[in-house]
Amino acid sequence: MAHITRDEVERVAALARLSLTDEEAERMADELDRILEFVQVLEQVDTEDVEPTSHVMPLRTPLREDRAAESLDPELALANAPAREGTAFVVPKVIEAEEEG
Amino acid sequence: MSQPPHPDYEVVIGLEVHCQLRTQSKLFSPAPVTYGDEPNHSTHPVCLALPGVLPVLNGRAVELAIRAALATHCKVHPHSVFARKNYFYPDLPKGYQISQYEDPIATGGWIDIGVEEDGELVTRRIGLTRIHMEEDAGKSIHAAAVAGSDSTHIDLNRAGVPLLEIVSEPDLRSPAEAGAYLRTLRQLLRYIEVSDADMEKGNFRCDANLSLRPHGTTELGTRTELKNLNSFRFVEAALEAEIERQADLLDEGGRVRQATLAYDANTHRTRELRIKEDAQDYRYFPDPDLIPLQLSDAQIERERGALPELAGPKRKRFQESFGLSEYDARLLTESRALADFFEAAAQAHGQFKTVANWVLRDVLQALGEQELEIERAAITPESLAALIRLVDVGRTTARSARSLVPELVERGGDPEVLVRERGLEVVSDTGLLESTVDEVLAAFPDNVEKYRAGEQKLVNFLIGQVMKRTQGKADPVTVREILARKLAESS
Amino acid sequence: MTAPLPTLQEARRALDSDETSSLELVSNSLDRAASIGSRLNLFLGTRDEAAMTAAEASDARRAAGEVRSPLDGIPVAIKDNMVQAGEPTTCASRILEGFISPYTSTVVERLEAAGAVIIGRTNMDEFAMGSSTEHSISGPAHNPWNPERSTGGSSGGSAGAVSARIVPGALGSDTGGSVRQPASFSGVVGLKPTYGRVSRWGLVAYASSLDQIGVFARSAADAAWLLEAISGHDPLDSTSLPEPAPHCSEALDGDVSGLVIGLPREYFVEEGVDPRVLARVREAVGELERAGAKVRDVSLPHTDSAIATYYLIATAEASSNLARFDGVRYGRRAQGTEDLTDMYQRTRSEGFGTEVKRRILLGTYVLSAGYYDAYYRKAQRVRTLLRRDFEEAFQGCDVIATPTAPEVAFGIGSKTSDPLRMYLSDVYTVSANLAGIPGISIPCGFVEGLPVGLQLLGPPLDEPALLRVADAYQRRTDHHSQCPAEFA
Repeated sequence: MAHITRDEVERVAALARLSLTDEEAERMADELDRILEFVQVLEQVDTEDVEPTSHVMPLRTPLREDRAAESLDPELALANAPAREGTAFVVPKVIEAEEEG
Repeated sequence: MSQPPHPDYEVVIGLEVHCQLRTQSKLFSPAPVTYGDEPNHSTHPVCLALPGVLPVLNGRAVELAIRAALATHCKVHPHSVFARKNYFYPDLPKGYQISQYEDPIATGGWIDIGVEEDGELVTRRIGLTRIHMEEDAGKSIHAAAVAGSDSTHIDLNRAGVPLLEIVSEPDLRSPAEAGAYLRTLRQLLRYIEVSDADMEKGNFRCDANLSLRPHGTTELGTRTELKNLNSFRFVEAALEAEIERQADLLDEGGRVRQATLAYDANTHRTRELRIKEDAQDYRYFPDPDLIPLQLSDAQIERERGALPELAGPKRKRFQESFGLSEYDARLLTESRALADFFEAAAQAHGQFKTVANWVLRDVLQALGEQELEIERAAITPESLAALIRLVDVGRTTARSARSLVPELVERGGDPEVLVRERGLEVVSDTGLLESTVDEVLAAFPDNVEKYRAGEQKLVNFLIGQVMKRTQGKADPVTVREILARKLAESS
Repeated sequence: MTAPLPTLQEARRALDSDETSSLELVSNSLDRAASIGSRLNLFLGTRDEAAMTAAEASDARRAAGEVRSPLDGIPVAIKDNMVQAGEPTTCASRILEGFISPYTSTVVERLEAAGAVIIGRTNMDEFAMGSSTEHSISGPAHNPWNPERSTGGSSGGSAGAVSARIVPGALGSDTGGSVRQPASFSGVVGLKPTYGRVSRWGLVAYASSLDQIGVFARSAADAAWLLEAISGHDPLDSTSLPEPAPHCSEALDGDVSGLVIGLPREYFVEEGVDPRVLARVREAVGELERAGAKVRDVSLPHTDSAIATYYLIATAEASSNLARFDGVRYGRRAQGTEDLTDMYQRTRSEGFGTEVKRRILLGTYVLSAGYYDAYYRKAQRVRTLLRRDFEEAFQGCDVIATPTAPEVAFGIGSKTSDPLRMYLSDVYTVSANLAGIPGISIPCGFVEGLPVGLQLLGPPLDEPALLRVADAYQRRTDHHSQCPAEFA
């Protein structure tokens, strides 16, 4: 049985804001399925009572002093903007309220 | 409850508040925290999410978060984790928000609110589920104003600003309680100087969750979420509208479905923004660019030591130690700055009730008229005390002194000097007063007749006339004596 | 053809004795980049004018007796995923076409503070995702030893640039082996420091908990100079270790008597590896034994889980790190889109190559609701076990020796149709990234005229031990001095 279906690939692609052609989706589903099959090897590893590693080196939390740096020149901030109006970035209109602001 | 919000259903409300922390720089970026700037004038590579940037945690934000947690009786966790909340939106430059998910900095506190029950003020304890730190997103400005425009403008000044998310348990039982909770929370945050908590400036935002259930049951109904609530009144009105909507739906035998709604003040109705079928898949995972936050006992205790006396205890102390009424104490402790001003002035003067009257009546009025907060006013506690003392020793009249308060509030100054310069010193030259009284008695013979015929109240009119002729500078006590003597004389 | 560039040590001597000038070194380097580098497709861009100006400034400093560091005036190259203010950075991706950074990465700042002259940006796999430098908008990089072969990846351009004597030193990045493996394929030294040794500020992130900037050079001594120049605590990187730059040069005394080398049995299994590669590695270990080192059998029992663990964690982090490439604030944006969602999807679909898309999809899937515990969380637990494997092994040895790669440079195009096969070529290198430990690959011989790499792994912060062993080996052998005839 497949580890990942074509539908799931499309769902995940939507989450990642990628659009795939039918051919690409088919191929990705196949490749991802084989990769997921390969990673099944981890199921055999006994990890009971083993803490997950999210950071390899034990470190103290570095804290930054609360001093405001000078703001980046807006012209520099906007220099790479594909579209701008004044000092604002411009994007195509949002169709629906996609996410909380 | 004096009047339950709905006869047939119990109302269950939980509130999620996001407040902006009072820091100079952003949470993970050293860019300045500003307000009202031109778009993208407060940015830095980090909050622009340029390729290659990394977050570094603002230590002050951590201190303020600890303080807020302690003030609300939460458990502060010595170990908490920053997690990425992944979603796409143009005002979220990294494509994820750094927040806290499984391991927040604080859980399990409470806030006491005062609610009216059968005409009495009763205390209810509202539980807090958690408090955590996260960064704010930027602003999307839908350029509908520009004719024919199909675009949205993105301003990242606000992106990365430090927020505290405070989540209440679903313990609130009415829109009024929700309002009380918000007001109390806001006051608390201002008292401990963690946030300016100004809803109008957008640094105190509220989302509400509401569900209904039949009275006497314990299972929670399906809840809806109300967003974009811009003021306390809005919150209460929106909750009322949603209660009505849900109740109507349930009455008809329908089912409430999970959704996010907005409130339309014009129609006083709520409408669906989108349907929450499943929760959005945010794919939370611990942020690998940040080390988990480890707090020492010393850090936590330092913040505990920095907590000021809170409104509730201060109110009690004002009542018990200074003999003020509950009402007056409540007004005086509305803000910490006002309470501190009052207390300093009262200490300087010595008579707490007297000073309370002056503050509540004259100072507050002047502040209101000048649209100032006490922090911005020029008047000092010492100068108010000095002003009142001038009245106490008879150097000037209460009326004259009161007229000086607005100026002191606006420009400050030495009351002694002002009284002299404005010629407000009491006229106690008895010779002048005697002749003025004579003038008045001569000018109003009818009233004198009536007075002697028994209308004792008319003496006030006569005193008023004397005050008028002396531009209010006569000492009213002396005037009353002279009048009384003279009126008695010729009868 | 201009003369091949000397090593860093040789260049320093020549500069100090006025036998050459920075201007000469840099202009040679630029010439070779334009000719050889172009032919082998090792560079994505050079900064000729800025480099020449920097060279002039360096010569002036030297004349005034104000040499800043051993690297002052020497040309180096950087992989095209480290930003520099005013310069383009593309990560070999269409989606960053035209992007000019307004700020500079810490490593570039430190190199420039040391007086090194950055001549250009090298070819790489897109966003550092790959093991062959074939997934690049610019096309594949070619191995100086045999242009039909891959340089390895993802830092293939930097490895090749050092191998072809275009620059004596270069920077790369290593997330699962991307410095060590191309070093092995290209016959140069490639060092990946301990995680947190070198600041990641300004390194375009692939997998945050695994990425480290590493160095390419022709000798251990040269690698030591580069490491000293770029490492040390950086407050701009929260994962940066508090330690200052290590003193490695002092460790290079050639003495390995009594040093214990662990050979993990799981890495010396005949299956899945070219036996001739294994033979070269065993010979190298033998050489070290003759120099006085002791050899011991060790075990790294969870080795078989390493690749799976790596690909789950790396792709998960990458899927999140690459979300910022959305066409809103910088880079390429798809034209003529209908609405925001359309703009996002087309920008990213047109802007990312297939391998990047594949990893984003896998990473997104692995983090998504319902799969997080089974995949991501599970992988993180296995990661802990891999770390413990090394901790235990290092109780009984000072360094671990393994082959760097299971094969020599493969043919360009030979693995691109099978992503899984490509992933498996990282089998010896990924564990070091997962455990956060330092690793170095040094040339130890040839198979069919193609270089073989010996990998040495050490405990956290023990780069000096790795460099000591590497240096001792290089005093007794000359594989590292070999150069493709064409570029000698």
